[in-house]
Amino acid sequence: MAASREAGIGVPGLVARAAAGDVQAFEELYRANVGRVYALCLRMAGDRHLAEELVQESFVRAWQKLPSFRGASAFSTWLHRVTVNVVLGHRRSAASRARGSALPEAAEPEPAASAVNPGEAIDLERAIGALPDRAREVFVLHDVEGFRHEEIARLTGIAVGTSKAQLHRARRILRKALAP
Amino acid sequence: MNCDEFKLRIDDLLDGRLSAAEAREAEVHLERCPDCAAELAETVGLAARIAELPRTLEPERDPWPGIAARLAEDRVARGRFGRRELAVAASILLAAAAVIGAYLIGRQQALTASAPAAAPAAGAVEAEALLASFDALGVLDYATTRQALLEVLERRREQLAPETFALVMANLELIEESMARIATALGADPGNELLQRQLVTAYRRQVDLLERAARLPSRV
Repeated sequence: MAASREAGIGVPGLVARAAAGDVQAFEELYRANVGRVYALCLRMAGDRHLAEELVQESFVRAWQKLPSFRGASAFSTWLHRVTVNVVLGHRRSAASRARGSALPEAAEPEPAASAVNPGEAIDLERAIGALPDRAREVFVLHDVEGFRHEEIARLTGIAVGTSKAQLHRARRILRKALAP
Repeated sequence: MNCDEFKLRIDDLLDGRLSAAEAREAEVHLERCPDCAAELAETVGLAARIAELPRTLEPERDPWPGIAARLAEDRVARGRFGRRELAVAASILLAAAAVIGAYLIGRQQALTASAPAAAPAAGAVEAEALLASFDALGVLDYATTRQALLEVLERRREQLAPETFALVMANLELIEESMARIATALGADPGNELLQRQLVTAYRRQVDLLERAARLPSRV
């Protein structure tokens, strides 16, 4: 990335080249953004291996959609949105496959005592990873990524009130987990 | 406002979603309720810790090889090639054909050799590591399938437009480069299931690319 900037290409030039099918340009965009995409995937998925698969899927999806990217927002912002959709889409697919055998949303269990143990210096990242799925998604999107409840509701297909309730739940669990 | 009502509104208070009147009611409650004040302080402290989380995290393994393999297939399927790439692909046509030839000859020699060979080149070691990985994964027909398809493609070379043949070769190389990188990573971490799946997926894409290339219509 640094070499490209030095050469005066920059992100818009790389995006244009990648959209025209230049894999090397796309790899430069990947190198510049993979850390942020992975952080989002890891925090939303709560699983390292799954996060790596979601990173792969997000960049493949971005590659496929790149010709329709009009530059209305920064590339990194657009990529971030693509990633969120990939992660949520994966969850919807997983939920669909498990339908009939999974616990209903409202009955999603609280983290196990071993995962959230008051009194221990538990790492915040681990505590986030131990949150129930829906609470973790809403928490990461709202508190870490800065999405509003209305946006979260639209992206995830839940009511705004449900989004607020899940955020409250996540914060309550985290406070308990991180209490001295 | 009592404690239950405050707890219901604590997130709205923190996120600035309370009306002025509701915020004032909350403040009045906090002045006389140390428990709710402590809960608010904990929540504010949590927000501060969240704000300090790093924006980026690096994956333990680089996902790019798997991505590159999938892009190669996508490029063939969608025909996403620019003029510059067509020119580059055409320029490597001879080199790619030479690579295939060397591979076929090398495999044949490896199968028929009766005496120990000289120390293999780095590329050969990588190729053998790749094949060993496939054996470990139970994809035993990899070399046979790949070789048969390459032979079909080589026989059809004169029937295909040079640009088409060049593109197939360019993407075959791209996939093979990805597979070699995955194989190298597997060498360092043989039990990694994600890498194993990536390798098998890359293999299937390579075979799929070759099968489709072998079925391409002849130029008029």
